[in-house]
Amino acid sequence: MKKVIIIGSGIAGMSAALHCAENGIQTVLVSPFPSERAQSVMASGGINAALNHQNDGDTVESHIEDTLRGGRFIAGEEAVRGLCEAAPDIVRYLQKIGTVFSLNEKGEIDQRAFGGQSHQRTCFSGASTGKQIVSTLVMECRRYEAAGLIERKLWSDFHSALIRDGRCYGVLLYNEAKRTLEPFTADAVIMATGGQNALFGKTTGSTQCDGYAAGRLFLQGAELKNLEFIQYHPTTLRTPGKRMLISEAARGEGGRLYYLENGKRVYFLEDKYGEKGNLMPRDVVAREIYNAGKEVFLDVTFLGKKTIDSRIPELRDLCRKYRGIDIYRESIPVEPSVHFFMGGLAVDNHHETNIRNLYAVGECASIYHGANRLGGNSLLAALYSGQVAAADIARRFSGTQDEGSDFVPDFEDYVRTQSEKLFRSMETESLFPVMYIRDMVAESLWEKLGIVRDEEDLTEGIEEVSYYLSIADKIRYDGSVLPYFNYSLEGILTLAKATLVCAKERRESRGAHFRKDYAKEEDAYRAATVISYDEGEFRVRLDREGRYES
Amino acid sequence: MRVKILRQQYPGAEPYWQTFLYDGDADASVAAVLDTLNYKDDVVDADGNHAPRIGWECSCLQGLCGGCAMVINGHPALACETFVRDLGEEIVLRPLSKFPVISDLVVDRGVIQENLKASGDYIGEYTPPSPKEHAHQYAAAKCLKCGLCLEVCPNYGKGEHFYGAVFANDCYLVASTSKEQGESFRKEYAGHFAAGCSKSLSCMEVCPMQIPTIASMAKLNRRG
Repeated sequence: MKKVIIIGSGIAGMSAALHCAENGIQTVLVSPFPSERAQSVMASGGINAALNHQNDGDTVESHIEDTLRGGRFIAGEEAVRGLCEAAPDIVRYLQKIGTVFSLNEKGEIDQRAFGGQSHQRTCFSGASTGKQIVSTLVMECRRYEAAGLIERKLWSDFHSALIRDGRCYGVLLYNEAKRTLEPFTADAVIMATGGQNALFGKTTGSTQCDGYAAGRLFLQGAELKNLEFIQYHPTTLRTPGKRMLISEAARGEGGRLYYLENGKRVYFLEDKYGEKGNLMPRDVVAREIYNAGKEVFLDVTFLGKKTIDSRIPELRDLCRKYRGIDIYRESIPVEPSVHFFMGGLAVDNHHETNIRNLYAVGECASIYHGANRLGGNSLLAALYSGQVAAADIARRFSGTQDEGSDFVPDFEDYVRTQSEKLFRSMETESLFPVMYIRDMVAESLWEKLGIVRDEEDLTEGIEEVSYYLSIADKIRYDGSVLPYFNYSLEGILTLAKATLVCAKERRESRGAHFRKDYAKEEDAYRAATVISYDEGEFRVRLDREGRYES
Repeated sequence: MRVKILRQQYPGAEPYWQTFLYDGDADASVAAVLDTLNYKDDVVDADGNHAPRIGWECSCLQGLCGGCAMVINGHPALACETFVRDLGEEIVLRPLSKFPVISDLVVDRGVIQENLKASGDYIGEYTPPSPKEHAHQYAAAKCLKCGLCLEVCPNYGKGEHFYGAVFANDCYLVASTSKEQGESFRKEYAGHFAAGCSKSLSCMEVCPMQIPTIASMAKLNRRG
């Protein structure tokens, strides 16, 4: 029986596991914590599918067009077509395995408007769509766990992949209980590790998603793509602990953004873009808030108690709990903050990386969203990508087309070297503990990779991160945190540098990447950025041929 | 203010108390306090002694993942949803007592999933539920599997026989959407929940998602 290891057990990882298991493939789902802790549970807004339940003439073609336009035309058309065509079936599948969607008066799945979309397309479960989906996928996975097809491996951290001559043969995991590195071989490995939040310290997302896996695999030869496209969500709420997401659902239901000028409200988005101004794509709204240079507020008071209670109750509770704001009566002060990474591991339309048998799904893979993701497309992409990767693995490793081979090279030297390196790091001493450096890097990136960027800032950012990288393997091992935080530092720093390099190389403005020194979108840059690592060198190119998504 | 924490370096190690000083924002959550204490160049306790960083589990920091469940001033709660302003002069933190400690405030709640798996908690062939069930299904599916309901429950020990409210709500979800599993699942419910529950309903008081477990119980009893 063929075996697949999946790193990460959020929605994308579970989707891949389920579809591998359905195809009779033995699947190991690896994560430090259970799926309930995954960032997926935080996805509030919804999932896009052209079901046309609002009878507003929505079609799959419109969904494709909106997605490509929202991504400023650098996503692969075929890939996006696959995503949007599959969406209605994915939503129906979710309902069939028990996901509790909000329903309209006819008892059909309800849909609402989201930013950058021509129709009311976003299916939702109150304001906890991600959580509702996770609950059902966990249950569905349990069915295959009981049948012995899915095995969960908890308290395990990704260290690196076992790669030889451009082929992946498995992974090296850090076992937190035994405190050792352990190799595991498999016919294929699927990465489902989420976005690179740790580059910015705290984002709207989970503290568990740090981007280490992408950084480490980059050092091992995997190419990365579109790293410069970082989504600043326009509406987040500042709290003492973190910036919390104020879901786009609030504006989908009619919420309006304004600032005050001489005591009067200025609905700046409606003034500039007309009636649908508040629902422009996220990159546009975030930039307009930045340009306003004033405190911006979101008003939902006029929706009334009934609509607020039935359509956005979680938002009501969040504002009350963390800031004492009563959204029945008061506006919410909002500001943009880092929310989603369009960039990540470069994958083709089957979700395979440039390393044979190494796949990536969900937010850690760069595909579908181009230069800016539309709200409601990330849950969809997480589910769809898992299906696609699993289908490709099943196709390649089944029956007469079996490409599998029982040959596994000897990784004994590699495992020994990595173990020695890890344990040696515990004995070194220097001025900075790792957690301190993580904080310093986050500070640099907030400053240099903001909503508006320029050459000078990016160059300084590269210099700062390069310095941290130069000392990364010399610093003191911080014995009071998990070894993971120590060995992950180099990968995270490498990813931070690669992101800055990509942002510097794209001398234009497109989607979420805005350069004040190159403020226009240029045809010459209408392609994805690909970055590779070659003996210390970071090499950047534009993927004009569509080597990856097409 | 003083933050007193029951610490334990690794599974099986001797637990000990250590106190830290916090002088930050009173509107901060306990999670933000732990972050503030940890994210310094050096962590120092109230007596000026160097201390290892404080182990605690977190992911979302906003009451959606259940990672940071612990006992705060004697009450089981999520650290990210409990605020300094409500806690008086001293904050006392302990790990959940009904699960094995991994380190400091981090515990292994694997028994929750193991019990659900052992009892066959999955839907199988889906039967469209009655529209009347919609609101309660939505509520029950929000369960974080955080373990707070088990910590507070007078009937729950270590999960050997009685599986607690977390199990009752999942039983309801299965029974309400699956003909195939429904009957056998009500038996699991009867054996691992109904027979042991003394109906203190303390589970509902501490549930961060405010799941009305009593409604799950009533619906399961009625169907049975």
